Amino acid sequence: MTIEISIRNVCMEFPGADGVKHVLDNISYDVQEHHFVSIVGPSGVGKTTLLRLLTGLMPPTSGEIHVSGQRISGPPKGLAVVLQDYTRSLMPWLTVEKNIALTLRKQKLGRANMRERIESSLEEVGLAGTGKSYPWQLSGGMQQRASIARALATRPDILVMDEPFASVDAQTRFDLEDLVLKVRDDFGITTVMVTHDIDEAVYLSDEIVVLHGKPAQVRDVVTVDIPFPRSQMATRNNPHFAELRTHVYAMVRGLE
Amino acid sequence: MHSVDVLRRVPPWIISTLVALLVWQLVATVGPAAESSIPTASEAVLALVRMLGEGATWLAVWETIQMAGLGFIIAVLIAIPVGVLIGLSSFAFRSTKFTFDFFKVIPPIVIIPITILVFGPSLQMGIFLVVFAIVFALAIQTAYGVRDVDPVLLETMRCYRQGVLRQIWYARLPSAGPFIAVGIRIAAAAALIVAVVAGLIGGAPGLGRELLLTQAGGQSDQTFAIVLLLGILGVLVSRGIGWAQRRVIFWTAS
Ligand SMILES: Nc1ncnc2c1ncn2[C@@H]1O[C@H](COP(=O)(O)OP(=O)(O)O)[C@@H](O)[C@H]1O
Ligand SMILES: [Mg+2]
Repeated sequence: MTIEISIRNVCMEFPGADGVKHVLDNISYDVQEHHFVSIVGPSGVGKTTLLRLLTGLMPPTSGEIHVSGQRISGPPKGLAVVLQDYTRSLMPWLTVEKNIALTLRKQKLGRANMRERIESSLEEVGLAGTGKSYPWQLSGGMQQRASIARALATRPDILVMDEPFASVDAQTRFDLEDLVLKVRDDFGITTVMVTHDIDEAVYLSDEIVVLHGKPAQVRDVVTVDIPFPRSQMATRNNPHFAELRTHVYAMVRGLE
Repeated sequence: MHSVDVLRRVPPWIISTLVALLVWQLVATVGPAAESSIPTASEAVLALVRMLGEGATWLAVWETIQMAGLGFIIAVLIAIPVGVLIGLSSFAFRSTKFTFDFFKVIPPIVIIPITILVFGPSLQMGIFLVVFAIVFALAIQTAYGVRDVDPVLLETMRCYRQGVLRQIWYARLPSAGPFIAVGIRIAAAAALIVAVVAGLIGGAPGLGRELLLTQAGGQSDQTFAIVLLLGILGVLVSRGIGWAQRRVIFWTAS
């Protein structure tokens, strides 16, 4: 197993009106290559902050983050993101395919390959034929799919998602969960996802990182030893699934 | 067909225009202004029809449009890049905002004497006044728009390693679009007004100067005809800009 993302003694403080706000305290964790890792914890604990640190959007106050062995000082190559707020991360003035093309410009694919890449990734997420639509012409679930298609089109090594399914309906949510598992298998992507849904975390993950406290620390790392491929019906009815979920729930609530 | 149905088919603006002309006609014939030198609506409309048959009127219209149009275009070409640059940096924004707000509220009439000294009562003078009147407000408006960009959008672009220029072109400028549109609407109306004022007070060519000349010559029917003409021009400009905006900034149309 190789380590894809290494978080080493990371602390994060924000300057505020009433002194410094200490959000993350000495976080250390390694994400294995091709793993699916979920970060869970109570609202406001610092999940998004940790995610922003490992995308390189901002530097930690202290500590280091390495991606593929390199210390990062900005968003690393091969990173793709899917954020909760799909209405704010796609550009309303560009069609879906132009939104995707924008992020592909760096890869210098050539016209034909670019077309092919865009169409195949739209097909992958079940959006074939919607490339010419504007994001606001699509439903919320479809916009989130488009955002995932954009991420996949770049053929990322690392996929980072912040509560990506929080604002879609239950059926769409199950579909999208299975979709990200499938692309993880197809492309061998290392995935880090923040979620507040513990069932979702257990269903998708190889490992779950539980953040807790103020400032937040890694309270537990739960290995989800349910074999892949998983299925919404069978996996969620697995007695071990219920055990793990209860355990993670207790951790998040600070009961154990 | 009932007469009510016929009325429903008439666009409301025609009805309100007719009502306004009728009120004007009454006020100027039997109403409070009957004894004054204010022409009746029919006199003004007739004068307008007569003037539209004369080349001199069209020349004056052209001169006014030229002055307002060139001034407007120059102001837009300056204000948008400057506004973008100011908007990009918090420091630049805070430090220029005061100066720009200061210039923004100076009425162009105040600087007419200086511009006459420099340019004389010419087309250039009018253009300069128009630029001066609108460039500051439009630059500030653009800067506000550029700052209003959704941070989530910018962060998404940064994660996908898009450079600063692409962030400006694909995210900040389109985000500023609705702000710039408001600024441009106001600027276009102001450009027309200032182009007229430049003629009326500064003696620059165009409909403004015609207003001044007809008034001095006691041809009040023609003065009012020019006012009518300016009103029509104003409506056309505002309609045209609205039409263009709905096409350029299509994504906010809800
Ligand atoms: N840029 C910032 N400046 C100041 N405080 C921040 C900033 N970003 C996050 N915080 C604070 O850090 C804490 C954790 O926030 P966040 O990471 O968004 O939590 P979560 O995603 O777990 O709900 C919150 O108290 C929040 O107010
Ligand atoms: Mg969050």
